[in-house]
Amino acid sequence: MKQATAIALVALVLGGVACGPSQQPTTPAEGKPLKIGVMPKLIGIDFFNATEKGAVQAGKELGVTVDFDGPVTNDVTLQAQMLETWIAKKYDAIAIAPNAPDAIAPVLERARKRGISVITWDADALPDARDFFVNQCTAASVAKSLMDVMVDGIGPDGKYLILTGSLTAANQNIWMAEMEKYRQATYPNLTNLSETPKASEEDQALATQVTADCLKAYPDLEGIFAITSVALPGAAEGLRKAEAADRVFLTGLATPKMMRDYVMDGTVKRFVLWNPVDLGYLAVYAAAAVAKGELEPGATSLTAGRLGDVQVQGTEIILGDPLVFDKDNIGQFDF
Amino acid sequence: MIRRLLLSRESFLFYVLAAMFTAFALTTEGFLDGYSLFERSRYWVFAGMIAVPMTFIIATAGIDLSVGAIVAMCGIVLGLLHTDAHWPLALAALAAVAAGFAAGAFNGAVGSYLRVPPLVVTLATMALFRGIAMGLSKARSFHVPDSFQWLNQGDAFRIPGLSGEAVYFPVPLFALLGVVALGWVLMRKSWVGRFTECIGENETAAAFAAIDVRRLKFALYTACGGVCGVAALFYTAQYATAKADAAMGMELEAIASVVIGGTRISGGQGSVIGSLLGLLVIGILRYGLEMAGVRSQNVVIFVGALLIVTAVFNEYMASRKGAKQ
Repeated sequence: MKQATAIALVALVLGGVACGPSQQPTTPAEGKPLKIGVMPKLIGIDFFNATEKGAVQAGKELGVTVDFDGPVTNDVTLQAQMLETWIAKKYDAIAIAPNAPDAIAPVLERARKRGISVITWDADALPDARDFFVNQCTAASVAKSLMDVMVDGIGPDGKYLILTGSLTAANQNIWMAEMEKYRQATYPNLTNLSETPKASEEDQALATQVTADCLKAYPDLEGIFAITSVALPGAAEGLRKAEAADRVFLTGLATPKMMRDYVMDGTVKRFVLWNPVDLGYLAVYAAAAVAKGELEPGATSLTAGRLGDVQVQGTEIILGDPLVFDKDNIGQFDF
Repeated sequence: MIRRLLLSRESFLFYVLAAMFTAFALTTEGFLDGYSLFERSRYWVFAGMIAVPMTFIIATAGIDLSVGAIVAMCGIVLGLLHTDAHWPLALAALAAVAAGFAAGAFNGAVGSYLRVPPLVVTLATMALFRGIAMGLSKARSFHVPDSFQWLNQGDAFRIPGLSGEAVYFPVPLFALLGVVALGWVLMRKSWVGRFTECIGENETAAAFAAIDVRRLKFALYTACGGVCGVAALFYTAQYATAKADAAMGMELEAIASVVIGGTRISGGQGSVIGSLLGLLVIGILRYGLEMAGVRSQNVVIFVGALLIVTAVFNEYMASRKGAKQ
């Protein structure tokens, strides 16, 4: 009798297991389309949901099977274990946004040894561990877009400040160096009021506070760059509270979803971000091209569907200039 | 005797494992692949090693939540001494293990001599050791050379009898099996296991039975720290780098293996073999579901459900045993 209960429990566990695969359609047997695994840093956030949309779209256009999955937290060790499974599933190509460049390298190398093409996107792995890296945009192109938007807003001899994440944030520091380079070359009369950027530590409330402080401390301030996706909505809130949007021009980097309200009420006129749908789209095109042997080292361009010819530098595929969002186009994006 | 063996909780777990394995093998294409299974097993080594001392600790009705943080800290000690202080790798590795013992001894001392409940102590040191790792590394990551990576990524020998592609036995499995064997001997064949279960059953009674409760508990937490230090070497070898945010959530993996393995969280008895089987059940379930194409958020749900089912079953088995006596 007791045994029966126990057996029922096993059946329950196994029943659950057996249901798993049947929910998922398996790959069609005819013609053996390429199988491409696409792994974001984590699943379940707007940004990567948008990249999934692009990846799936590219898969349909190319007639390849695209499996998009990743860990539930941005943990590189979970990515490595999932990749181990993907190697076992014998994907033709893997496109991954690694959470750490070096920790992911051993498993990527193993994948390549087994004949799987490896593409990184969004963030790179050690260059030896992958075939190509789909770079969403170069630091120079981010810097140029931001500066051009600012000059559009405050003119070529305005005065501005930069609000960053933490003072050690690597991406932001590279962008700021490029912004300064571009300013000296193109807009020498534009003035940065503080050599040291203002830090907001990826804390939206702090960004609001710092913005309010800056509005008081720098009476001749005309423009603010908020160059993290947390700093920009925070700064926008500060500007809105101070009702200073008509004398201070705010721009920076953030997702359209976070900025929609501020753009619609005019607090922020224009801001910048690369298009994650295009990023996922290009990652799949690149992965398919490498797997088919159409993209090899030394190539200078890649034809990627609706994106046309995309530039290739060494082993980096450049998505191109970031998008500028404003009142007119922000409604089209839901990430 | 044989009847008892066939009906023991460990055997039951083994049946579950075998049934699960068969179910996946029949339904999931590519699951039954020696190469992939052995490759995957490299990732089970760290939590598996730690699950052994954790079995003893849980058998005393204690817990150690700081194991993941100790692994991270020991990795940083290794990386820092090798990269910045230019110590030879072997010496740096020894220092890392020593750091693990020290961390464990700290847990043990505060827990048993200052009588702070282990849940509280190790919850605190979970943050403390992680913080030390962050502070020491200043958020840098340390690369370890290929020769060191062999420790977890290396192949020991080719497994004979498997046709097709060459399948190798991973080096780290020796370490895991070694720790499990040592744990099994201590638990089943020595006074350590008997006294440990005694403490978990009734600590006051154990003390009256002239068991040095405090010293044994201190020793168990210290040993657990030491094993974490060893696990850190393998972990660092697998990922080629030491980082302060390494081994996040490893405490949960280790504890889940122990609990699924039939060791009661309220103490009193522990099974090292059960913990190993628990580790395999979780590992195979995850691997099989992933192979079957179940998305990772749903895999988490299955693993959670498995934990609940086994916990209920273990309580049921324990109460039945109690009723018989």
